[in-house]
Amino acid sequence: MDPEVHSLTGAYVCHALEPAEREAFERHLAQCPTCVQEVAELQETAALLASAAAETPPARLKAAVDAQIAVTRQIPPLVATGPAADRAAARQAAARPRRRWFTALGWGVASGLAVAVAVLGVRVGDQQNQIDQANQRSAAISTLLSAPDAHADSVNVSTGGTGIVLVSRSRDEAAITISGLVRLEPGKAYQLWMMGPSGTRSGGVLPAGTQASDSVLAHGLGDARTIGLTVEPAGGSAQPTTTPIMLLPMPA
Amino acid sequence: MLGRAGSKAAGSKAAGSKSTPEEQATLESQLHRVALGDRQAFDTVYEQLAPPILGVARRVLRDPAQAEEVAQEVLVEIWRTASRFDPERGSVRAWALTMAHARAVDRVRSADAAARRDARAAELMVEPPFDQVVEAVEARLDRERVRRCMEGLTELQRQSVTLAYYGGYTYSQVAHLLNSPLGTVKTRLRDGLARLRDCLGVGG
Repeated sequence: MDPEVHSLTGAYVCHALEPAEREAFERHLAQCPTCVQEVAELQETAALLASAAAETPPARLKAAVDAQIAVTRQIPPLVATGPAADRAAARQAAARPRRRWFTALGWGVASGLAVAVAVLGVRVGDQQNQIDQANQRSAAISTLLSAPDAHADSVNVSTGGTGIVLVSRSRDEAAITISGLVRLEPGKAYQLWMMGPSGTRSGGVLPAGTQASDSVLAHGLGDARTIGLTVEPAGGSAQPTTTPIMLLPMPA
Repeated sequence: MLGRAGSKAAGSKAAGSKSTPEEQATLESQLHRVALGDRQAFDTVYEQLAPPILGVARRVLRDPAQAEEVAQEVLVEIWRTASRFDPERGSVRAWALTMAHARAVDRVRSADAAARRDARAAELMVEPPFDQVVEAVEARLDRERVRRCMEGLTELQRQSVTLAYYGGYTYSQVAHLLNSPLGTVKTRLRDGLARLRDCLGVGG
């Protein structure tokens, strides 16, 4: 054991090494069980230093984390190869069907949720309803995710931002999440549209000041093929009055 | 039509870290369920770990918005990589908080944060600010224990650990700030933490 390298355990645990030193130390760790033990103990100690700084997180942190994990695939455990491992992998594949397509969307959804929601065709006022709806919404998204024909797609909003749609034709439902929108001047609002061969219907007006929306749930998609977004006078319009800044296709 | 997804408060449980064996076992079994995609188990893990994750990020970064971003990243990473947690290598708490500290430090080291460093150095040398911390009893006890054990360190140990861990400085920066030889700071970080370990009764 090289005493010189060994003495770096404290600095290593504090993340106080330069990258090159850190790599050298990690190589050393691989062949120094005593160092591994010491690092583990000092990491537990450092964890107490972190705990001593604990702060109550704001509710928006939970909301943002929840929104993000809803679209984040969990990585599988590292398993040994061989027949037994194959069986384990097969079990695991069976337990987590059809999530792979979602990976590409990954981290896109949730930065700085303004938690504004438009529920298509439904307008409710009181707070209990709002809470109930939030709960129903997350339940509905879980159900949508497990639908056999669940499909996800994302596009950029031409004026800035991203729209993501999760759609299931068999359930006749879609969840739309929009983030990173530019703030509009007073008197203007973003409005969603359901567009299809039989015409264009309003999908709801996002509240004034909205820069990101929670997942908007659309029931009764009918023949809608595209979700559009336009800038309209606050309060919304019956039909789009400006050029769509986002056209998010849905599979037929 | 407005719904606040975040309107239910993020958990009323104590934010502290009484690392009793029962709690460790609970966190471990909850994390195991998280690895199976259990959202309720994740809520429990969140309640216990979000406060120290956010807290350490804020101590290192100072800026509340950046600290929240780091906390969000780390909590999502816990969800994503729950299956890779290895109990042989330490507690869930140490796994999560090591990750949180590393991410916060990475941000400090990034170029855009460089300008803020000098101002923070001066700040760090005064009594650590415990203003916006949780009021939970366990957290208070942790804080009290850590404070007491910190007092048991030599001045140079205490300053080295504070600057490196809470300040996010490399040990050569710490040596420069404290006007001490590199080798001395390196050693003080190690024996300072070891003394804290013994004082805090961390198993080994």
